[in-house]
Amino acid sequence: MDTVLETGTTTVALTATDGVVLAADRRASLGGQFVASKHAIKVEPVHDRAAVTISGSVGGGQEFVQRLRAEADLYETRRGHEMSVDALVKTAANTVRGMPATPLLGGVEADGTPRVFFLDGGGGVLEDDYTASGSGMSLAIGTLERLYDPEMGVEAAVDVASAAIDAASERDTASGNGITVTRITADGVQQDTYDDTTEVLA
Amino acid sequence: MMGNNDRQAYDRNSNIFSPDGRLYQVEYAREAVKQGSASVGIRTPDGVVLAAARRVRSPLLEERSVEKLHKVDEFHGVASAGHVADARQLVDVSRRAAQVERLRYGEFITTEQLTTEISEHIQEYTQSGGTRPYGAALLIAGFAEGDPRLFETDPSGTAIEWQATAIGGGSDQIREELEEQYDPQMGVEDAVALARDVLTDEDDEEGAEPTIAVITADGYESRDVAE
Repeated sequence: MDTVLETGTTTVALTATDGVVLAADRRASLGGQFVASKHAIKVEPVHDRAAVTISGSVGGGQEFVQRLRAEADLYETRRGHEMSVDALVKTAANTVRGMPATPLLGGVEADGTPRVFFLDGGGGVLEDDYTASGSGMSLAIGTLERLYDPEMGVEAAVDVASAAIDAASERDTASGNGITVTRITADGVQQDTYDDTTEVLA
Repeated sequence: MMGNNDRQAYDRNSNIFSPDGRLYQVEYAREAVKQGSASVGIRTPDGVVLAAARRVRSPLLEERSVEKLHKVDEFHGVASAGHVADARQLVDVSRRAAQVERLRYGEFITTEQLTTEISEHIQEYTQSGGTRPYGAALLIAGFAEGDPRLFETDPSGTAIEWQATAIGGGSDQIREELEEQYDPQMGVEDAVALARDVLTDEDDEEGAEPTIAVITADGYESRDVAE
């Protein structure tokens, strides 16, 4: 059995009219065969109005999050104002380059504009209205493709994100064990965890 | 009173304090800045004006080869005073800092951050072994994020923000003139005229036309006709 912890994972990120929603399942696995954790947190705030999801190796993802937080904090302390989302995503891309991780980044600009990005270990950045990563991404994207509506608000987007994580948890063996839902608005980041996706959908 | 010999002991290295807490080499570097001709910076609501006097030592000299104003990036420029070769080195540091900001964050550098980067570099040379301080001062002007800003750095690596100021030879007198004539609400063209006025006020009748650049929301623009 593989000895490196992998998130397996399904994570999604989507923009809403008044913010951004990120969501991820809570399973960490060894080689996709063994559930190493049922309580993994794969959405991490990195800024007052931005967060990332991690997929790939758990170690790589955690290292990425810690470095990005350090860069964002250092920037803010040195300059007396926080990073723009553009500066944050550029820093994230530079940080993740060479790491075994494919994060999603979601953030809200100071003026309230919602932004969502797909990043990869090669430093690639793709901006989109909705995106997904991890072993269950093709299942999640199908749901997002069907349910995403650019006119919906954050609460409607939470339902869509949860439906996508739910669909992937049903069929992807490396995803499951509940959901982390993160709402980002101009007011900040709010994160909630549930042991079952149906708790959010209900 | 400190004898000449005592003083010399703290004179050799820029990174050794004298017993009364002074860095003589840095102070000498400040004197070097005053040996050069003056440069002026004036901030207005719509942009910043940089101007530099040029000493033409011979009618055979090509004026355009005397470089005192330098474009750093689209929205920043610096005016130098003091050792020209030292200043050029700082100009390169400025240009690199501006590009590194774009590579690292995908954004144009702000004038304040550019000043911080340059000042930190200058300061390193007052504390490292085997180096001498920069014998040049800079006026750093920019228009970033909708704000016109004007900063000065000196050989110690200290940065100060100004509405209008002068560096180099005769700068104290020029600053006094600016204090009398500066109007915070003045237009860019009025500031150009004022800069030209205070730089040509000097007794030196043979001085060439000052070289001038303005930085506004439209970017860095050289006003030299000869080029």
